[in-house]
Amino acid sequence: MPWTPFYQMAEFFASDQFRTVLNALNSGFLVTLELFCVTLLGALPLGLIISFGSMSRFRPFGWLASQFGLTPKGRVAKAICAFRPIRLVTRLLVWLVRGTPLVLQIIILFYVPGMLDLFTWGGGETARFTAVSVAFVLNYACYFSEIYRGGIQGVPVGQQEAGQVLGMTKSQIFFRVTLLQMVKRIVPPMSNEIITLVKDTSLARVIALQEVIWMGESFMKGNSGYSGLVWPLFFTAVYYLVFSGVVTILLGKLEKKLEFFR
Amino acid sequence: MKKSLSFILACLMALSAASCTSAPAASTADTASGADESSSAAAEGGDAESSTEGDTESAEGGETESDLAYVQDKGTLVVGITYFDPMDYKEEGSDEWVGFDADMAKAFAESLGVDVEFSEITWDYKVEELDSKAIDVVWNGMTLTDDVTSAMSTSEPYCLNAQVLVAPADKAAGYESLTSLEGLTVAVESGSAGEEAATALGATTVPVQSQAAALMEVDSQTSDVAVIDLLMAGAMIGEGTSYADLTQVANLNEMQNLPDEEYGVGFRKGSDLTDAFNEFWAEKVADGTVLEVATTYGLQDSVILD
Amino acid sequence: MAILQVQHLEKHFGKTQVLKDISFELEKGRALAIIGSSGSGKTTLLRCLNFLETPTHGKILVEGQTLFDAEAPATQKESKVRKKRLHFGMVFQSFNLFPQYTVLKNVTLAKELLAKERPDYKANKKQILEEIAQEGRSLLQKMGLEDREGHYPHQLSGGQQQRVAIARALALSPDILCFDEPTSALDPELTGEVLKVIRSLAEQNTTMIIVTHEMAFARDVADQAIFMDKGVIVERGSARQVIDSPREERTRQFLSRYSKS
Repeated sequence: MPWTPFYQMAEFFASDQFRTVLNALNSGFLVTLELFCVTLLGALPLGLIISFGSMSRFRPFGWLASQFGLTPKGRVAKAICAFRPIRLVTRLLVWLVRGTPLVLQIIILFYVPGMLDLFTWGGGETARFTAVSVAFVLNYACYFSEIYRGGIQGVPVGQQEAGQVLGMTKSQIFFRVTLLQMVKRIVPPMSNEIITLVKDTSLARVIALQEVIWMGESFMKGNSGYSGLVWPLFFTAVYYLVFSGVVTILLGKLEKKLEFFR
Repeated sequence: MKKSLSFILACLMALSAASCTSAPAASTADTASGADESSSAAAEGGDAESSTEGDTESAEGGETESDLAYVQDKGTLVVGITYFDPMDYKEEGSDEWVGFDADMAKAFAESLGVDVEFSEITWDYKVEELDSKAIDVVWNGMTLTDDVTSAMSTSEPYCLNAQVLVAPADKAAGYESLTSLEGLTVAVESGSAGEEAATALGATTVPVQSQAAALMEVDSQTSDVAVIDLLMAGAMIGEGTSYADLTQVANLNEMQNLPDEEYGVGFRKGSDLTDAFNEFWAEKVADGTVLEVATTYGLQDSVILD
Repeated sequence: MAILQVQHLEKHFGKTQVLKDISFELEKGRALAIIGSSGSGKTTLLRCLNFLETPTHGKILVEGQTLFDAEAPATQKESKVRKKRLHFGMVFQSFNLFPQYTVLKNVTLAKELLAKERPDYKANKKQILEEIAQEGRSLLQKMGLEDREGHYPHQLSGGQQQRVAIARALALSPDILCFDEPTSALDPELTGEVLKVIRSLAEQNTTMIIVTHEMAFARDVADQAIFMDKGVIVERGSARQVIDSPREERTRQFLSRYSKS
């Protein structure tokens, strides 16, 4: 019978095992989705703040000197006056975060505070989720900040100057002139990062956050009365494919939407 | 150039030094954190507790704080587990942790007058989970290896276990009369007692993340055999699992003429919860509770009752 | 009295001095052409007038009021500078239109934002915006672009874009309109339409400063001309005199290169 495999498949999809596994994977995927959303909501604005920090021209000593009408003469004095602490600190942060693996950051962030008796994240899933969220937001904000910086610096200076000579304030220039042009520039690289984020959420299971892959793996050891099952782990790929597919379509729509200008 | 290079190296060394000394730092920082806790306890109106804590602190010169008091103060005992039928698992359709370990953990928490909370952890990080106070106890059919006893404060052993060799059923005959594992690629759970046993028998080990992953190695033929816990093997291979064609071929403890392995419960180093546990356990053995619960989960032959 | 007075303006970029002791005046309703080779400091001078660069020394006065004084930091506060810029309009060599806005919005945006600061804005919002849009449309009509108001900049030719930029600068009714080589980025066949617009502005007695390489145009349209070289004013006079019969040797050399090409 040529139809037999289809019947077998239908039978499998209707089985209790399939339903139980699907329920577990769904609950795991919900955690994945939450982590994805929290990371985006946190990292998109935080990245902007960090990118401003990394472009900061604030020079406290140079400013002080100019207030007293002094011009730095020696090499040391010039270096001190040119010192930009905010830029230095943010670029150092970006280096630290981008220069180390996210997995390591999650482990350090979750375990080290308690080991040093600084604070604990508390017990249970919420604590793990909070710690992982902080790690993800920080990590992705740093990556986003560099993309933003490229985007902002990629908008021609003439655009800012045109705003200036028309009497616009700094914030008007940013929000009315630069922002949308920057967004258009950063959508393709951001899409890349966001798709990576979809999959990076699986790193959270290193501290036992029960996201979808954790749930898939759990059936190998045993979960809800089933043990020694491998297929749930492989089946999680379906979730990621659908998820990243949807994200790709949405970002593609955004890109299309921004095609009205060049 | 040289200067900046040495600066970077110095930074890296400072970082690693900070992480290496984190454990001792935790104990030297105790005076400060002890003060923190007594103040928070006072804020919650826990007068009795804060005064007893003050006593122990002065008695021991502030060197170690009472872990028991810490757990009682926050009112929850967080038990670090992994899914391990028949020790810690969930019945089909239920969200409650049951099993020999889970049931006894509930009873222990009750004896301390606190709630119990089960937290699934990554087994590789069980010590870090304890040290960072993410959990208060590892209670999950943990074999008392040298590594475990040196990193935690462990209880008296309460259950026996062995390491078994798992191989594809069609090749089982070839492995049954082995006396060493030399020349074999053996998948083991990283950091497990099985890894130690396999290494001792001369195997080329493939350390993977979990015992389940070790089985997958064998099934996908990336490793010849796997070493896992006897108690776990029952649930993970054979009929009704994805590994119907895997079978248990040898007991490594017998192969090495070693005594059986022992399961124990692990607390933070220097914790007074260990004594509290040993006392609790002796009591439960005496009144027959331990045997009764063990029998429920088919462990009457494995549990230690003397 | 002159509407614009520039006194002893100097500008250094690090160790190089780009402007040296620049002083000149401009009467209301007159057009001033600034000519000179590239690197002579013409563009920097315009940018100083529009506060895009901060002069190292000197003063700028409009209608007798000191807008900028290098010795008085109070005149350089960002919050004040913003309003002072409105005395000047600027047309850039590269247009610098806002690509994400329609032609009409490019013209009206700045005025709309300024209108928000008016006390009666909330009450009469609709009416105010309608007025601004109306003014914008009539400016576009003057530029011959009335049928392009809904287009986006990238849909226009370079000449059309530059005319939008002129309308945008005019929308804020500046006292002095500055052109920074307005036709240099255009194909030769498109310069004519832009020059025509500037010429008609001159005929309506718009006060203008035009930095340009179009010598014939400068001579016909401007009342006065300044020739700059290496950051100093070499020669000044009526446009016709400076361009047709220069007194200085350097001016003559510069102009001869143009007549040859």
